[in-house]
Amino acid sequence: MHRAATSTRIGQPVPRKEDMRLITGKGRYADDLNLDGQAYAAMVRSPHAHATIRSIDTKAALAVPGVLSVLSGFDFLADRLSPIPNKTFSVHPAEMPLINTDGTPAFNIPDYPLPVDKVRFVGEAVAMVIADSIAAAKDGAEQVVIDYEPLPNVTFTVDAAAPDAPRVRDEHSSNVCIDAQAGDAELTEIAFRKAAHIAKIKTWIPRVAGSPMEPRAAVGEYDPQTGRYTIYTCSGQTLRLRRDLAIVLNVPETNVRLVIRDVGGNFGTRGAIFAEQPLVAWAARRVGRPVKWTSERSEVLVSDYQGRDLAVEAELAVDKDGNFLAMRGSNVGNLGSHTGNFSMVQKGLEIMSSIYRMPAAHFRARAVLSHTAPTRPYRSSGRPEVIYVMERLIDTVAHQAGFDRVELRLRNLVSQSELPYKNPFGMVYDSGDYIGVMKRAVELGDWNGFAARKAEARKRGRCRGIGVANYVDTATGIPREKAKLTVYPNGCVDVVIGTVSNGQGHETSFAQLINEWLGVPFDMVRLITGDTDVVDVGGGTHSGRGMRLGSIVIWHASNKIIEKGKQVVGLLLQKSPSEIGFADGQFTAQGGPVMSLAEVAAAMNARTDLPQELRGPLLAECDETVNDAGFPYGCHVCEVEIDPEMGFVEIVRHTTVDDVGKAVNPLIIHGQTHGGIAQGVGQALLEHCFYDASTGQLLAGSFMDYAMPRADILPFFTTEISEVPSTTHPLGMRPAGEGGTTPALGVVINAIVDALSEFGVTHMEMPATPERIWRAIRGKPQRSRIVPDSIEQEISLR
Amino acid sequence: MYDFTYHRPESLAQAIELVSAKCEAKLLAGGMSLLPALKLRLARYSDLVDLKAVSALEGGRREGDKLIIGAMTKHAAVAASEVVRQAIPALAVLAGGIGDPLVRNRGTIGGSIANADPAADYPSSVLGLGATVITNKRQIAGDEFFTGLFETALQAGEIITAVHFPIPLCAGYAKLLHPASRFALVGIFVAKTNAGVRVAVTGAGSSVFRFADAEEALNADFSPAALDQISVDADGLNSDIHASAEYRAHAIVVFAKRAVASALSR
Ligand SMILES: Cc1cc2nc3c(=O)[nH]c(=O)nc-3n(C[C@H](O)[C@H](O)[C@H](O)COP(=O)(O)OP(=O)(O)OC[C@H]3O[C@@H](n4cnc5c(N)ncnc54)[C@H](O)[C@@H]3O)c2cc1C
Repeated sequence: MHRAATSTRIGQPVPRKEDMRLITGKGRYADDLNLDGQAYAAMVRSPHAHATIRSIDTKAALAVPGVLSVLSGFDFLADRLSPIPNKTFSVHPAEMPLINTDGTPAFNIPDYPLPVDKVRFVGEAVAMVIADSIAAAKDGAEQVVIDYEPLPNVTFTVDAAAPDAPRVRDEHSSNVCIDAQAGDAELTEIAFRKAAHIAKIKTWIPRVAGSPMEPRAAVGEYDPQTGRYTIYTCSGQTLRLRRDLAIVLNVPETNVRLVIRDVGGNFGTRGAIFAEQPLVAWAARRVGRPVKWTSERSEVLVSDYQGRDLAVEAELAVDKDGNFLAMRGSNVGNLGSHTGNFSMVQKGLEIMSSIYRMPAAHFRARAVLSHTAPTRPYRSSGRPEVIYVMERLIDTVAHQAGFDRVELRLRNLVSQSELPYKNPFGMVYDSGDYIGVMKRAVELGDWNGFAARKAEARKRGRCRGIGVANYVDTATGIPREKAKLTVYPNGCVDVVIGTVSNGQGHETSFAQLINEWLGVPFDMVRLITGDTDVVDVGGGTHSGRGMRLGSIVIWHASNKIIEKGKQVVGLLLQKSPSEIGFADGQFTAQGGPVMSLAEVAAAMNARTDLPQELRGPLLAECDETVNDAGFPYGCHVCEVEIDPEMGFVEIVRHTTVDDVGKAVNPLIIHGQTHGGIAQGVGQALLEHCFYDASTGQLLAGSFMDYAMPRADILPFFTTEISEVPSTTHPLGMRPAGEGGTTPALGVVINAIVDALSEFGVTHMEMPATPERIWRAIRGKPQRSRIVPDSIEQEISLR
Repeated sequence: MYDFTYHRPESLAQAIELVSAKCEAKLLAGGMSLLPALKLRLARYSDLVDLKAVSALEGGRREGDKLIIGAMTKHAAVAASEVVRQAIPALAVLAGGIGDPLVRNRGTIGGSIANADPAADYPSSVLGLGATVITNKRQIAGDEFFTGLFETALQAGEIITAVHFPIPLCAGYAKLLHPASRFALVGIFVAKTNAGVRVAVTGAGSSVFRFADAEEALNADFSPAALDQISVDADGLNSDIHASAEYRAHAIVVFAKRAVASALSR
């Protein structure tokens, strides 16, 4: 139940202060900016999945009225610009490294924003037309003549890993960029020999689109006088993006100013530099005018970074009592056409065993190139995939051996006394009450009342099923963050920080921190982010780091403000700073208030008799590198009803208990959970970036074919927050942005398989479309045109 | 979108003159199908003749045993119309299930049937009720109107002015939703009339078609159970990433039963 906020302090469900601005059209997104004399860019995109570029003829395009310039990768090279750098692995110290089994370095090749040799996916930008208007730019784009020589392509993950697959990069002997192992093969082998039961799964977690509400956009500006570029765009980060832009544009970082204002969604697929960002900046220099590019929704689907796409074979060994002995298997992640980021394989694998006691494990992990759009970490990077696999394995073994699904999980969950617990991949989980949270979720979801609901549904001709899934996330990300606080004589506080809100409500939750620690009224706190002229350090928003790291640096900076204030008050009252207290925005002496924070700021600004270091603005900074990871976890219960005649599935209950350590704003956290569930359910039931296997064309290229989850397919959720303090965070906080999604794939599919168990169905691939369910019920192979046949065949054989 | 000249005539006569004067002119109704095609540069016209201001084309009324709906009547208006709900409730249900509120508040019946999208809802009612399409030149029987994939019996420059729907004894519509667009993967319109039962299928073929086996069975016994023994051959049915021909064949029978049940429930 949602309660109303009684104050604006930490822990209060304070309504978001940015929402009125955002929902009344007053947000300032990248496309809302229009600069004087601005020109427009349109991209010419590849119609082929794989082809050699023989030539690019721009003559006819240049003759189109209004066209100012047509630029290709050849011009890019001639201007001595550099390829986009990749950040393939997370190098966070808490993370499990992935190393090639043969000791060679992972294959990594930087991307050119406009290729000159080959195109490698349908939708890849090949040339850019700059014109006076969008219409003229598009007219010009139509006239660019590119001579392609089509080549064979491969789009499906497992096929791409085959030694004889069409190669994406001539520079490398196969499409496999990394082939690593994790865990202990020998221990695992021994454990499997002792197993009473072994569950197996072979599955594919298909590729989905990030689908932020705001399409990508970028406006580039160049000042020839100073040689400085300014780029206005949407992203989840500032400083790393600025660094990457400077590398591509071949200028010092100080010659690039990056401005990010409101951002309408990120989810990770917009977390990294994209080609059009440096391209508009370069174009602005070339044409001597600001250049703007805004993608259309079909461009979003075809050329945004995409998410997921992992093929897994896994086994779980269990003894006769149900104790987990070991797990093993192999993961293949699809990188798409570029070696951009291996997170899906790395961050997934390291928590493959979730929060269960797993004495041994061994996995092979590969990341492969294919002729598809590049993939990036997508909401909960790599974890929803492996949690789905683990939770499917548990249900499978429970079904095979006749264990109760809830008891089997409770028996194997790591108990509080075993924490901190090192999992078989070397990850150390900090703290939590895994068993208590699961018990609470099962109770809240009324697991015990299910049988009666199932019987009632039967009377209506519906098959009802219930599923449960536990999860854990590893929150790492860029470890360094900085906050700078300035208190003004009127009592207002400016917070400059390196995180970027992509819609998560930072203006509200960060203001609550200041309200709590400095007693400054919530409405007098201003959050300043996203402009590299103001923000000089910080990692942005990803991997549950916004509040997790933001709170630490704001807290330390707040304490410094108070310390400074105490010195000032001490001097003014001729007392020692240790005699001065601080509470609710007031400095106190002998138990009574003596000066407000604003009065101290005013004194520091006005008085000339204070020592030098206490004169001037009342400000403090904290710049900190946090090398600990955070481990949010939780348990979700889902209940579905299936219409067996058509295979329609309806989610009728969805219950979650998520441990966030300490909830700063429960209202925002519930909102994150709701959105996260919708994204997970979308993948489980509907969404799929469907690439046609023969042509490599993306068939779900618009929202008329790419099925997004909508409110009418979701029930009212029951979401509860658990607060077992994290021991790796000074304030006990765990991230809260991904919990809705991480277990969603597993819990929804588990519920569907449970509903269908009476038909002998033991597994269901995603998206679990009505047709696929209908086929499963009738014992037909689940094959439909939704999924490449190889996986389907295997499943139907088992 | 390519450049075009925009016209907004206020009378049918003016509209007719404009479309016949320019060989590359195109009628614009709600724009819900035409504008996306223009935006994607899939089509190019010299002139667009917007029918929005031709008020004579909008609105519905009952005349004896006929329901007359003007070509420019919006889906939302048909869905909400008391006259339609009284005369042919299934038609109001059909219109209310098209796309989403934005589409229903702009898209029109005339545009929908002129466009003849194989997955559109309205064509099933035109065929299923044996309606007559009225144009500025002639009257076209519903059975003759849809001639193929996005093809109709309309000639260049011919304007639909209204559709005449005979009022059946009862009728029902049921559709299998496309998960993204909400068009019909399969849509079945069933009507029981004095002249017999008509069953029309949309979404499953290149164009809307009649389902003879079901009509025969329902003529003998107008009940869902009458269709229990009927099956549909998947051969030649549409197959795409959202539904195979096999699943559509199954859905045709299931939704025909659901349409019959809905017809009987009124
Ligand atoms: C997101 C979305 C979802 C949709 N979902 C559905 C759905 O579920 N079911 C469904 O049936 N449809 C659906 N549609 C299509 C929608 O119903 C359209 O409104 C309809 O197909 C076309 O009607 P319109 O008035 O918009 O016509 P327009 O787009 O303006 O015109 C369509 C064609 O008809 C011609 N035309 C228009 N009026 C006349 C006339 N009076 N005489 C002769 N020719 C004419 C035009 O020249 C053009 O060729 C959807 C559309 C969208 C965008």
